[in-house]
Amino acid sequence: MRTYILRRLALFPVTLLGVSILSFALIRALPADAATIRLGASGSACEECIAVVKKELGLDKSKPEQYLIWLGNALRGDFGLSTATRREITPELRDRFFTTLQLGLVTIFFTLAIGVPIGALSAVRAHSVSDYTARFFSILGLSVPNFWLGTLVIYLPAYWWGWTPVKQWRGLTEDPVTHFALLVLPALVLAIGASAYVARIVRSSMIEALYADYVRTARAKGLKEQSVVWVHVFRNAVLTLLTVIGLQFGLILGGSIVIEQLFGIPGMGSMAAKAVADRDHQTIQATTVTIAASFLTVTLIVDVLYAWADPRLRV
Amino acid sequence: MATEAQAGVLAVPGQRRIDFGLGKVRRFARRQPLGTVSAFVIAGLVLMAVFADAPFMRTTDPKEFGSDILVGPSADHWFGTNRNGQDLYSRVVYGARPSLMVGIATVLISVVGGTVLGLLAGYLGRFVDTLISRLAEVLLSFPAILFGLVVATWLGPGLRSVIIAISIIFTPVIMRIIRGGVLVERQRMYVEAARVIGCSEARVMFRHILPNIGPLVIVVASTTLPAAILAESALTFLGVGLPLGEPSWGNDLGPQARAYFNTAWWLAVFPGLALSLTVLAFNLLGDALRDELDPRLRGSGLGER
Repeated sequence: MRTYILRRLALFPVTLLGVSILSFALIRALPADAATIRLGASGSACEECIAVVKKELGLDKSKPEQYLIWLGNALRGDFGLSTATRREITPELRDRFFTTLQLGLVTIFFTLAIGVPIGALSAVRAHSVSDYTARFFSILGLSVPNFWLGTLVIYLPAYWWGWTPVKQWRGLTEDPVTHFALLVLPALVLAIGASAYVARIVRSSMIEALYADYVRTARAKGLKEQSVVWVHVFRNAVLTLLTVIGLQFGLILGGSIVIEQLFGIPGMGSMAAKAVADRDHQTIQATTVTIAASFLTVTLIVDVLYAWADPRLRV
Repeated sequence: MATEAQAGVLAVPGQRRIDFGLGKVRRFARRQPLGTVSAFVIAGLVLMAVFADAPFMRTTDPKEFGSDILVGPSADHWFGTNRNGQDLYSRVVYGARPSLMVGIATVLISVVGGTVLGLLAGYLGRFVDTLISRLAEVLLSFPAILFGLVVATWLGPGLRSVIIAISIIFTPVIMRIIRGGVLVERQRMYVEAARVIGCSEARVMFRHILPNIGPLVIVVASTTLPAAILAESALTFLGVGLPLGEPSWGNDLGPQARAYFNTAWWLAVFPGLALSLTVLAFNLLGDALRDELDPRLRGSGLGER
């Protein structure tokens, strides 16, 4: 197990380096470079102006050189200036990272609160009416796109009662109550799809365990059904659940772009979406690398936890 | 030749070759009622997309601007009209075209690509595996919107760019699943037998292992299709998918249309309903296929006995 964890840890920086190189190459290969974008608004820019701006942005150097400079700064936590607004990227990105992190945590809470009981009930009463109902709703939850669900949640109440859940954003220190209240609905919308997935996983791994020899032993020695289910059967689902939750969490850190846009949450996702809309290359680069790094970190933590928690891998 | 025939005999115990006989279809219909209904719904959707401009569908040109602006559902406009006076019913019907085309094309590209890469990584192992797996991990960690933007900027926005971008997103996902299946198959006796009698690596991969992971490939393809349809609408919704104005469910739910959602509920409801129903039908069919084809994955979905 130790070699596995060490191997994973050693590969992490390699993958991260790959992420930064590939994203840099992709973004720098986009036709309009940052200098043209900066001067584009003023119409046809003169040759000298472009040369001056290029020098200022470091675009006169070769591509590998540009990359190494960018990497050096990024490693010190400096993502440079936004191409569009000329403001520093790092402080904004840091704030937005924590907002998205909170959204992710609240979503995971709802995902588990909804998914685990439904999955467990489905498994214990397999092939009953409640099982079929739960499974139908779980596949429905997987099929309804979250941006449509979010749209309905925002616009139908507005249409019927003139009430809208999208309010002026409040920071955690500014107004903690409103802050979390504003996170609840988007987190619930994200949790619907994720909990449907969790319910399916919990159901199938618990059903698998219900027929295992150790469960028969537990019943035979006279344990209460309650403790058989929660102590012996559910534990079998926990490891798989860990992987699924880790994956979902990683996806939310990077993939809540649409939901953040819809609900006006100032997170990393909406920052990336705005950067893409503005063709703000520096910010696209910074958000891409941060999102990828968060995703990879979560995956790494889950893999290490898994190796540590699963006795079968402890050789 | 004789040696190859022997390898074929040895391969039999591990094989679950797919047989598309009529008997299989009947059995499927009997055991998977929900999957069968979904298959009919999907057939209906395909017909709807193909015959979108046929007179009996009663559609009008989905891009034609009309004088009835933002009117609710009525006998003239079944699903109402949008800000440009375009008939929403026609747009929803025509919107099935890009969704299905993206779904099918993406599945073809990414399933073929993912299967070949998964076979290479899983069977050859070592350096090839490390290279392919690392690259897959890098691609998986990027936000999808990046690929949407990059491809759309290079090739211009349109169906082709969306298909390429979504294929890039799904190929590593499929590669990982197939690789897992190959790792299991590689341990089996028939692979060892084929190698012992001197089959080339390529032959072992494509003639011996591939048929045995056939069910897995089909299951993966059936789950990728709805995911690709969702990805298309999400990319279009974010403005890096299909060009604005094109009849597509993602466009009709997108930022341009959203300004009118709080006064015209039909604009928000019908395109989303069409999208959800399509994805639901594909998901249900995929689940039924999984139950039938791959008993190891059973219990993860609906419609199982």
